[in-house]
Amino acid sequence: MDFSLKAMLPEIFLATMTCVILVLDLYLSDRFRRVTYLLSQVTLVFAAVFAIALWDNHFVLMGGHFVSDKLAVVLKTSVFIVGFCIFTYVYDYLRERDIRISEYYILALFSMLGMSILISAGSLLTLYLGLELLSLPLYAMVAMIQRQNTASEAAMKYFVMGALASGMLLFGISLIYGSTGQIHLDALPVAINMAEQPDMLLLLGVVFVVIGIGFKFGAVPFHMWIPDVYQGSLSPIVLFVATAPKIAAFGMLSRFLWDMFGAAPETWQSFILIMAVLSLLLGNIAAIAQTNIKRLLGYSTIGHVGFIFLAIYAGNFAAGAFYVLAYALMTLAAFGILVVLSQRGIEIEDITDLAGLDKQHRWLAVMMLLVIFSLAGVPPSIGFYAKFVVLSALVDAHVAYLAVFGLVMSAIAAFYYLRVVKVMYFDEPTQTREITIPHGTNVLLSINTLATWVLGILPGGLMAICLLLY
Amino acid sequence: MLENYLPIVVFIAVGMVIGVAPIVLGKLLGPNKPNTAKLSPYECGFEAFEDARAQFDVRFYLVAILFIIFDLEIAFLFPWAVVFQQLGWPAIFAMGVFLLLLTVGFIYEWKKGALEWE
Amino acid sequence: MEIDWLKFFFYCYAALALFGATMVIFSRNSVRAVLFLVLTFVASAGLWMLLQAEFLALILILVYVGAVMVLFLFVVMMLNMNLSPLKEGFVRYLPLGILIAATIVAQLVWVYKNTDMAALHLGELAQKPADYSNITELGLALYTDYLYPFEIAGVILLVAIIAAIALTFRGPQNRRSQNIAVQVATRKDDRLRVIKDVGPDSDLKA
Repeated sequence: MDFSLKAMLPEIFLATMTCVILVLDLYLSDRFRRVTYLLSQVTLVFAAVFAIALWDNHFVLMGGHFVSDKLAVVLKTSVFIVGFCIFTYVYDYLRERDIRISEYYILALFSMLGMSILISAGSLLTLYLGLELLSLPLYAMVAMIQRQNTASEAAMKYFVMGALASGMLLFGISLIYGSTGQIHLDALPVAINMAEQPDMLLLLGVVFVVIGIGFKFGAVPFHMWIPDVYQGSLSPIVLFVATAPKIAAFGMLSRFLWDMFGAAPETWQSFILIMAVLSLLLGNIAAIAQTNIKRLLGYSTIGHVGFIFLAIYAGNFAAGAFYVLAYALMTLAAFGILVVLSQRGIEIEDITDLAGLDKQHRWLAVMMLLVIFSLAGVPPSIGFYAKFVVLSALVDAHVAYLAVFGLVMSAIAAFYYLRVVKVMYFDEPTQTREITIPHGTNVLLSINTLATWVLGILPGGLMAICLLLY
Repeated sequence: MLENYLPIVVFIAVGMVIGVAPIVLGKLLGPNKPNTAKLSPYECGFEAFEDARAQFDVRFYLVAILFIIFDLEIAFLFPWAVVFQQLGWPAIFAMGVFLLLLTVGFIYEWKKGALEWE
Repeated sequence: MEIDWLKFFFYCYAALALFGATMVIFSRNSVRAVLFLVLTFVASAGLWMLLQAEFLALILILVYVGAVMVLFLFVVMMLNMNLSPLKEGFVRYLPLGILIAATIVAQLVWVYKNTDMAALHLGELAQKPADYSNITELGLALYTDYLYPFEIAGVILLVAIIAAIALTFRGPQNRRSQNIAVQVATRKDDRLRVIKDVGPDSDLKA
């Protein structure tokens, strides 16, 4: 058994600390609940540091079930940083509503452990187990805090859809294993190339695995859970569900498609294309009719997933990685602002709840404006640059008509994003209220928001990192 | 290897025959003259008040799911018990970590009071 | 002759599993559906046994039939659900359901027709000797090559415990529980208050 403590330190540290926090939290009285929060934050910081320390190394460990390479380092670090921001944004929200803070943090930490395992998966088995460890805490989080019936419905839909996706994935994995006799991702291309003709059984296995991945991303036609979960759950939970798991899902997608079938893209390209086109169409057009801001952002997520899949279709995984990181950054800020705004008994649900935000809290309105423009792809934001990279990848792949299609869809998207801006700036507030943001949250949220523009103006560094991954 | 299981198959077959035969025989041989009064549910001379199924407390569910988790843990212990002498310390260490994880879960359950009943 | 018997038992168990699975869907009574699911699991255990995975077959009975199905029964009874309103959507969605099922079946048949099954790594299942120990083989693989997935499974079980408690456990707020330690440690002063000198203007004299 090849084992290296150094290579697996992020996972081992995260797992150990989560267990420590879990037990410690039981012995804390309510007055010291903040200790749980601080420890969770410290854990994430150290896990990120340990992950970055592995940048120059390439490990294949634990009998090939664990892989640590540059892709793993970048995605894991992003997950931990996103987790750190989420934990900061939601603390006051949870405390104000007397929601069980420790369960939220502990389940989120376990979910991030699952993401980390998924990102570092070296075999189909760890891919599956990582995905389960990622999803199980999410189901519990969505169902745990029941405010109204929509939360139960959302949890139920999420759970049933997730279980179905897991079943499909497992079926696909077993077909691939049955067809090749291999379970390790690095051994599969060899086994596939040995076959003289494309193996139908293998192809069917790939179809099912891609469906499973599509479910996790929420790509059309496997998107049904996204709008309901986004609308039905509390904002802090949507904040978590919408950001970090997408990064991990991208890790899974690129491990599976790039490592295994990089040599034979014709096996999966057509499914990816169908999902990309449908996601762009449905996500952007259905978003126009929404009045609930969380549901709107849910549909916009589906649209963004369409772009990520377009990048994958063009065979440009670096562009996909850039897009998913940009998406995570923007969504983090957008839902972060919604969480911060939901205070003193007010939940931000409808777009009209944002009316007159400009007069209530100027800086928050400016931040929301910046984030929305970035989501819409206004230059020179990160959202613009990410779309630009994907579209130019399509042109390079000689599918310019898809680039035009993507462009049209972005234009439609700009319309419903601008409606939110209009409500914020030109509508009169329905009630006067005072918004107070804790100092730390304000600073982090501001950095987060400004990053969506700074990284758009100077995208070179992040793009260079993404190019190093493949 | 499979021939070792022949007695079990015979056992299952005999068990099925003994279970099914009386029902079938009863159906075939017994007189069967149903009427409305015979088929109506009877409860001390009244119409039935409610369904026979009563609602359970959610705590039964919690106990059942906790039971399943520890049941699965035992499923992992069987193969380990067979081979740990062969594999030596690494296997003992591995199972130690596994059991430690579940002990953490057990402490959590205990302290939360999920095992208490009234 | 040996192979024929294997095929015979395979078809018996396969038919039983299919019958059970169909009845799970078509039973009107949800408790009966759960019991048919038990039948399906037992038949699957028989199939696994034919593949000479004896330990897994027994674990299937132990864990699924013994534990998971008990949980299912609890859930069915806990919900106290009447299935007839649920069945109303059944007919409406039936065409779509049949369409999807037919597509998947057609797909599987097509793939089966187009796959050279002999070229797969399946081969003929070797008959193991009578002293072959499935559980030893499993243990040797699980605690060496598959150690990492095994530990992840441990974490998943831990999360399952936490999730189950977080979802169903609502704390002791509406319980009247007896705390013996507190009872024993009670002193006289906690229970008895002696009120001296009740004056004429005391409200106790009302």
